[in-house]
Amino acid sequence: MKNADAVLQLRNVTKKIGKRTIVDQVSFDVPAGEVFGFLGPNGAGKTTTIRMIVGLIAMTAGEIYVKGISVNKQFERAMTHIGAIVENPEMYKFLTGYQNLVYFARRHTGVTTERINEVVKLVGLQNRIHEKVKRYSLGMRQRLGVAQALLHRPSVLILDEPTNGLDPAGIRELRDYLRTLARQEGIAVIVSSHLLSEMELMCDRIAIIQAGNLIDVRSMNDLKNRVAHRIIVEVEEPEPTKEVLTAMLPDIAMAVQAGQLEITAGRDRIPELTRALVQAEIDVYGIRTANQSLEDRFLELTRGEQIV
Amino acid sequence: MSNFYRLIQNENMKIVRRPRTWAMVGVLIFALLLLTAILKIDQNPNIQNNNWKQHLTETNQRLQQQIDENSADASPDMKLKLEGEINKNLYYMEHNVNPYEVTIWSVVNGSSSLMVLITLLTVIVAADMLAAEYSWGTIKLLLVGPASRTKILLSKYISTLLFTLFLLVLNFVVSFALGGILEGFGEISRPALTIGAGGAVEEGSMLVAILQNYGFKTIELIMYVTMSFMISATFRSSSMAIAFSLLFMLIGNTLVNILSKFEWVKYLLFANVNLSQYANGTPVRPDMTMLFSVCVLLVYFVVFHLISWVVFTKRDVAG
Repeated sequence: MKNADAVLQLRNVTKKIGKRTIVDQVSFDVPAGEVFGFLGPNGAGKTTTIRMIVGLIAMTAGEIYVKGISVNKQFERAMTHIGAIVENPEMYKFLTGYQNLVYFARRHTGVTTERINEVVKLVGLQNRIHEKVKRYSLGMRQRLGVAQALLHRPSVLILDEPTNGLDPAGIRELRDYLRTLARQEGIAVIVSSHLLSEMELMCDRIAIIQAGNLIDVRSMNDLKNRVAHRIIVEVEEPEPTKEVLTAMLPDIAMAVQAGQLEITAGRDRIPELTRALVQAEIDVYGIRTANQSLEDRFLELTRGEQIV
Repeated sequence: MSNFYRLIQNENMKIVRRPRTWAMVGVLIFALLLLTAILKIDQNPNIQNNNWKQHLTETNQRLQQQIDENSADASPDMKLKLEGEINKNLYYMEHNVNPYEVTIWSVVNGSSSLMVLITLLTVIVAADMLAAEYSWGTIKLLLVGPASRTKILLSKYISTLLFTLFLLVLNFVVSFALGGILEGFGEISRPALTIGAGGAVEEGSMLVAILQNYGFKTIELIMYVTMSFMISATFRSSSMAIAFSLLFMLIGNTLVNILSKFEWVKYLLFANVNLSQYANGTPVRPDMTMLFSVCVLLVYFVVFHLISWVVFTKRDVAG
C-alpha cells in the first residue's frame, strides 16, 4: 500500500498508554510540495502523532514511512529525510548560532560549510549568527530552528506548533517562508497548530483530529467551498426579492436581516444564485460573503455537525 | 562509524564550550597549587638538613624497642611489618636518601589525593550529561536526528570518560610541572621503596607506583561516574545524580566499616570500589579477594549501563 507520490505516509498509527487510546488508527499521505496542516484542539493527539513521526514517542501499532522508509524498522535512514522543529526550538544557549548549526550539521552526512552559510543567509541571520544564542530573541531562535531543520535538505519538514510565542510579524514571516519552501524546493511541510486562522493562510490541505481520531482530511479550497457561508445580497427591496428567489431555488435558506437579504449556502452556489437574480431582473448592488472564520467552521466540524 | 565519531565530537563540544568546564579546570589547578604550597610550608627544616640520619636512627631504636617489648604477644605479621620499616630506614641511610625531603615525586604523589576532587567534578559533568538536555529542552532536537538512541547514549558516556581522562592527565602533568619547577627535576630517578615478603626492602619505579595508585582510584572514580550517569539518564535530574553519587562516595566507607560484620556487605558497591585494599591494606572482609571485587564491580557496571540503556531508549519524550 505504498504510495509512490507521498513522501510521508501514516498507516493506522495508534498510541495507547495503559488503557487510554491517545491516537487511534490515524492514516494519511502527504505528497511532496504540499503544506499540510494538522489541526485539533489541545489534547486531541496532534503533538503525539507528530512525535511518533519523528520517533520521540514509540507507536503502539501502525507504520510510518518517510520516502518509503519505515520509521520503526530503519529509524536512522528515515530520519535523514526529516527536518523538524518540535515546539519552541531549544538551542544550546552557551553556543553561538553558528556553533549550533555546526553541531546539527555534524549529525548528517555531507552538510558543507557553504551549505551552512547558505542556510544562514536564507533565514536572514547573517549579522547575528556569531552571537551566543542566549542573546537571541524568540523570533531569532525560531529562525535558527528553521535553519537547523533545513541544513541537510530534508524531504519532509515537520513543525510542531511553530507559531507558539511568535509575534504577528514573525508568524507572517514564517508562513511566507514555509510556502516558498514547499513551492520552490518541493518539500512536504507538516504543520500542527491550534491556531486556525494561521492554518487557513498557510496550508494546502488540512487534517482535523479530535480525541485521537482523524475526522476529516480535505483541501483548503474544498473546506472553503463546502462549508456553509453567509452570503449577503444588496438589493433595494429585500422582502420581495426573497420571495422571488425562494420560488426559484427552494432548497436554499434565506432571511431578511437589518434590511439586507442573507442567504446561507455553500460558496459553490453563488454563481447559480447570481444567474437567478439576473433572470428575475432584480437590480443587484453587491454580493459578498460575510467573513465567517475558519474557527466557526472548524467548530461545526468537530461538533460533528452536517457540512452543507 | 564516522557518524558515531561525529556524535562524540558533538558531545565533547558541549562540554568544552561551557564556561563551567573551565571553572572546574581552574578549581583543579588552584587545588594543585594549594597542595604544593602546603607541602613546601609543611616541610620540617630540622630533619630537612643534616640531622635526618639521626632522626631515622632514633626512630629505628624506638621500633626495635617495640618489637622487643611485645615479642611475646605480637603477631608475626606485626613483627614483620615493623622490621620492614627498620630495613627501609636503614636503606635510606645507606644510600644517603633523605625521605623527608620534598621532591618532585612528593608533589606528584600528593596530587593523587586530589582524586576525590576529580571524582566530584566528573560526577557533576556525568550528572548533567542527560539531565541537562531535558532541562534545556534540547533533548527533542538531539533525538530527532539520524542517530539511534543507543548511539547517543554511548557517545555521551564515552565523552564523559574522555573528560575524566583529560582531568586525570591534567592533574598528573600539572603536578609534575609544579613539582619540577619548585623542587627541581634532580630527584626524578629516586626509587619507590616497598617491603617485600621477607621484610626485605625492594626498589621500584616511582612512576609505576604512582600510576598504580592513580589506577586504583580511577576505577573507583569510573564506578561513581557511571552511577551518576545512570541516575541522570534514568531520573532526568542532575541534582539527584550528584547528590546520590556523592552521598555514596562519602558515607560508603563508613557504612561498610559499620556493617563489616555481616557477610552480605561484600556484595555492596562501596566495599569493593577500593581495590588498593588488596595491594596495601587489609580487605573489608577476610573472604574477599581482588578477583571477587573485580567481578562485583563488573556486575555493577553492567547493571548501571543496562538500566540507563533500557530507560533511555524506551522512554517517550513528551512535554
